Amino acid sequence: MISVSNLKKNYGNIQALKGISFDIKQGEFFGLLGPNGAGKTTTISIMSTILEPDGGEVNIADFNLKDDPIQCKKIIGVVPQEIALYNELSAYDNLMFWGGLYNIPQSELKVRIDETLQLFGLFDRKNDKVKTYSGGMKRRINIASALLHKPKILFMDEPTVGIDPQSRNLIFEVVEKLHREGMTIVYTTHYMEEAERFCDRIGIIDNGQIIAQGTFEELKSSNMMKETIVVSFVKLTDELYDKVAVSWKDLRRDENAINFYSSNVKNDLAKIIIKCSETGLDILRIDIQKINLETIFLNLTGKQLRD
Amino acid sequence: MKKLALKDLKLFFADKRAMMLTFLVPIALITLFAFAFGGVGHKKGESKPTTLVVADDDNTAASKNLMKQLDSTKEFEVKQKTSAEAENLVKKGDEAAVLILHKGLSDSLNAGNRPPIELKYDAAEEAEVGILKGALIGNLIRIVGGKSMAKSTLAKFDSENPDIDPSTRNKIHAQITNNFSSVETNKQSESFLKATPLVAEEENSPGLIHAVAGTAIMMLLFSVVAVGASLLDEKQEGTLKKLLYSPIHPRNILFGKMLSANIISILQLVIMFIFARLAFGLDIFSHLPSLLLMIIATAFACSSFGVLLASFAKSRQQVQAMSTLIILVMSCIGGSMIPTFIMPVFMQKISVFTVNYWGIQGFYDIFWRMLPLTDTVLLSRILVLLLIGTAMNLVALKMFNKNILKIA
Repeated sequence: MISVSNLKKNYGNIQALKGISFDIKQGEFFGLLGPNGAGKTTTISIMSTILEPDGGEVNIADFNLKDDPIQCKKIIGVVPQEIALYNELSAYDNLMFWGGLYNIPQSELKVRIDETLQLFGLFDRKNDKVKTYSGGMKRRINIASALLHKPKILFMDEPTVGIDPQSRNLIFEVVEKLHREGMTIVYTTHYMEEAERFCDRIGIIDNGQIIAQGTFEELKSSNMMKETIVVSFVKLTDELYDKVAVSWKDLRRDENAINFYSSNVKNDLAKIIIKCSETGLDILRIDIQKINLETIFLNLTGKQLRD
Repeated sequence: MKKLALKDLKLFFADKRAMMLTFLVPIALITLFAFAFGGVGHKKGESKPTTLVVADDDNTAASKNLMKQLDSTKEFEVKQKTSAEAENLVKKGDEAAVLILHKGLSDSLNAGNRPPIELKYDAAEEAEVGILKGALIGNLIRIVGGKSMAKSTLAKFDSENPDIDPSTRNKIHAQITNNFSSVETNKQSESFLKATPLVAEEENSPGLIHAVAGTAIMMLLFSVVAVGASLLDEKQEGTLKKLLYSPIHPRNILFGKMLSANIISILQLVIMFIFARLAFGLDIFSHLPSLLLMIIATAFACSSFGVLLASFAKSRQQVQAMSTLIILVMSCIGGSMIPTFIMPVFMQKISVFTVNYWGIQGFYDIFWRMLPLTDTVLLSRILVLLLIGTAMNLVALKMFNKNILKIA
């Protein structure tokens, strides 16, 4: 559905994109992750036709972005990071305007607006001016305005930044519904739990390069990531720690606790408990720290995702 | 307190826009007004002669001599035209007044009668004509008046004293001629020059037309700048970017803005002229087609100016700072604040570079000079406004692509 190949973009002397490539299949939920300044928004801006690349190619559906930008625009919907609405107009008028740009017949557009407002739980307030809405409500309308032309591909750039839990949950429900209905979604976010929850595949971008891409499981295994079993004891002496360390190589002491690193928690957990009991250690509690995108990113780049 | 004041001063001097508004704008306006009203730019005692269009219907040695003598004065530079051409110049607003030397001028001078000299003028240019008339009467009396009156007195003397001896008669003649050679303007001088208005005597007063057209155009410029600046608001609030995501051509965003600016401008002018009709009785219905076309042309030029200004700026604040200066300057030079004829000649020449000038002159053509829609003068003013608007729109489009789209 989307094919990005060797995409390059410079801002003066700064190389914002250093030749990135990735493919997104039809109906796929693709997450683009990276810290601020990594090149996420530049990539989305090029794919959504508002920024010209300095090199490389982008194909959307059957259209080349450079040769046929208008056709590409017709099949994409973009939810920008900022709330871009006319505050002095009502939600309904805003949607009429944004939907009207896609030449949807008036009667059809009205039906779609009512349906979309119902979907986002804002039908009852459709005639209120947007300026009277809360931040979360505005964000919902912001997303709704990108869906009226029923795009095949939806670009969502940090769509849940700074909103209340109620609006966030509603947006999640809508996003999941759209995904179920077969829409291809490209999603950028800082929130790892969102990416882990929704994304079929993830591309990790840093310093203008895709440093890893694949499913969550693929990212985990390709980086030989290990999960951590943290066992806290009532009292851990040096002597007892040495006894445990003899039989378990990949571990680290943290005062009265030991971090055991494991690539197979299911098998290793029982072994660790037995070994600790045999050594005479009184276990206080056990925590299992699973691998997440944050740890994968940390492992790949040596820095936090939100740096 | 001292620290706070110092901080504020530092902030103030760091803000170039504030500095410009505080110092440069007033300096620029003072300079401009001084040139417009204060006579700055001329050395004392030095003035350029006024062009005086003269039609010589008499075409005699006397009339030619009169033109030559007028041309040799420091006040006038004579330009000869036919009567029809001269009158047309007044009717079309190119000249405030023209002097007609009617047939029989030579005979009248020889007979000592009042010479048939007529000043035909545009009553809309009352102030300018008044000054011209004053200077003209003084010179005419100096050139032909004394001679004419002397002849008349001599003829009367001769008819009453037919038997006087020739040597005494010659002495008395010489004395009378000498006395009349230094005749100055007197109470009868006003009647010496017949003055006839060519344009006007209509319902619409030129003052009213100037007030309505001048103010309407100036205020229109301010309001269209606000419409143009909304483009920058769109950029700031992210809606411009969102518009660019949609399948409309980027230049259509600017065209949409131009269209809305045009509609608002037309509405504003229409409302202002309706108000002028209701409040001051300006006769707008007798010239409806011309008026509508002129309103459209003026609105087009003004709205293009608003969009052009916005396309150059990077923020609404910048537009506001620039527009205040540019609109005031344009309105001052272009005749929105005061009629252009009051200004020095070089400023009158500059005024043609303003939208205000062409708009105001166009409305004068309609309401005062009563030019029909088919008249080339009125059409040429409309054409100039449309060309100004088109040129500004083209530049705005280029700047929009360069400034606005790339930053979006």
